[in-house]
Amino acid sequence: MDTIIQQLFNAAQLGAVYALIALGYSMVYGIIRLINFAHGDIFMLGGFIGLLLTTRFGWMPFYLLLPLAMLLTALVGVTIERVAYRRLRNAQRMSVVITTLGVGIFLENLVRLTVGPETRQIPAGLPSAPVVWLQQHLGAFVTWDKLLIILISLALMAILWLVVNRTLIGTAMRAVADNKDAVPLMGVNLNLVIAVTFAIGSALAAAGGIFYGQAYSIDPYMGIDLGWKAFIAAVIGGIGSIEGAVLGSFLLAGVEVITVAYLSSNLKNGIAFGLLILLLLVWPWGIMGKPTLKKV
Amino acid sequence: MTLLRVENLAVSYGAIKALHGINLTIEEGEIVSLLGANGAGKSTTLRAISRMLPLQGGDIFYRDQSVKNIPAHQLVAMGIGHVPEGRGIFPNLTVQENLALAAWTQKNKQRLAASYEKVFALFPRLEERRPQLGGTLSGGEQQMLAVGRALMTDCRLMLLDEPSMGLSPLLVKEVFRALQAINAQGMTILLVEQNAHMALKIAHRGYVLENGRMVLEGPATELAKDPRVKEAYLGGATT
Repeated sequence: MDTIIQQLFNAAQLGAVYALIALGYSMVYGIIRLINFAHGDIFMLGGFIGLLLTTRFGWMPFYLLLPLAMLLTALVGVTIERVAYRRLRNAQRMSVVITTLGVGIFLENLVRLTVGPETRQIPAGLPSAPVVWLQQHLGAFVTWDKLLIILISLALMAILWLVVNRTLIGTAMRAVADNKDAVPLMGVNLNLVIAVTFAIGSALAAAGGIFYGQAYSIDPYMGIDLGWKAFIAAVIGGIGSIEGAVLGSFLLAGVEVITVAYLSSNLKNGIAFGLLILLLLVWPWGIMGKPTLKKV
Repeated sequence: MTLLRVENLAVSYGAIKALHGINLTIEEGEIVSLLGANGAGKSTTLRAISRMLPLQGGDIFYRDQSVKNIPAHQLVAMGIGHVPEGRGIFPNLTVQENLALAAWTQKNKQRLAASYEKVFALFPRLEERRPQLGGTLSGGEQQMLAVGRALMTDCRLMLLDEPSMGLSPLLVKEVFRALQAINAQGMTILLVEQNAHMALKIAHRGYVLENGRMVLEGPATELAKDPRVKEAYLGGATT
């Protein structure tokens, strides 16, 4: 019993990190049909920005450090869109895919050159004592940082949901997803809406990178593996859907954690990707995805 | 006062010339109809005016200011509203959200409230359907929403692209009646239509485009009597 609860918390923590990455993939795809393969590396970069801030400004409390790292990573995301993607908005899909992959490789090597290839851990900014209440009542050993990572991630997702569904900029983002051509006719600057989407996606990924670096570790290439996992989670949930990205992330993390705990860690990726294939056979558009009919 | 002046406007799609240097003026308060067959360049003219297409030559003056280098979204803030072909509503946004988004450039709360009142007075159906998704509306209601959105931008000049498209004759009448009411309140309108009969009925003046060239212009009543217009656009009933 106690180990099941512990595993659930492990799954929730991993799922939260996946979700923070998957949301960026899904939002950007949702509004401009672009799969940003550099997004996993933005997640990695966010982790390293968090690491640099912690080592340089050790006095800074976590609740200041996190938003600052998110802001800086958002600026990087917006810059990448401005410099590399914007001029390709009406280009062939293949050119865009190659560009996003190239940007990803650039970021990996940039970090490797400037910070180094070693695996590092972000010093804990959150208390690591066990949650006594959970230990006494459920017999589960769960640390405060794990619980806080899950709670802060859920709060960020809730804020995102409110921004997208309850604000005018969120309405504009959904309008771009719906009918991009009509958006300028409303007096709305399309480039601004797309920039905001990249900023939000990058900021969330940065939070994911910092949480991951605290809970596990970071290295310049971590964005590849985790980026793909988050991408799979977004596809399982239905790419373009915010709710789907979150659902797919927790589902994938749950499957992975259970596989590692009760079967074998070697099977983890095989089962994760197998699940993707199976689910897409049943739901080609993902769980929450809508079938889109192409206008002819 | 001349609200819009189009001078020698030329537009190409790749190697294909869509507009060969056309001229057009619209005075404040007018309804001007732009007639022509399919592919004559009517929609291209509107899309060029609202800066959704790059110009190959010529210039566009709105209130005597060249708007050639102004991006489309800023033109809306300057007072040009565009109801695009096929209505261009956002199907997964509610009616309310469609209208709210169109008011993006309106910062004055009182004017914003007045705009909502204006739209709902003109189209009470939209007020009933406020929480409904745009895509669930009927064709006529979607057209009302498209016109309502243009009103929410607080424009002075409204460009309308085929508002009668796909609507039953009864609904066409309703939409045109609404356009006349909007015009009576001071809105200047440039109307692109295939339904030349209806368009000339409500317009003050008209232009006729053929293969990207302006071939006729004049007061609407005279155009309606012109044998060439009758032949080509009014069912060929020559008198």
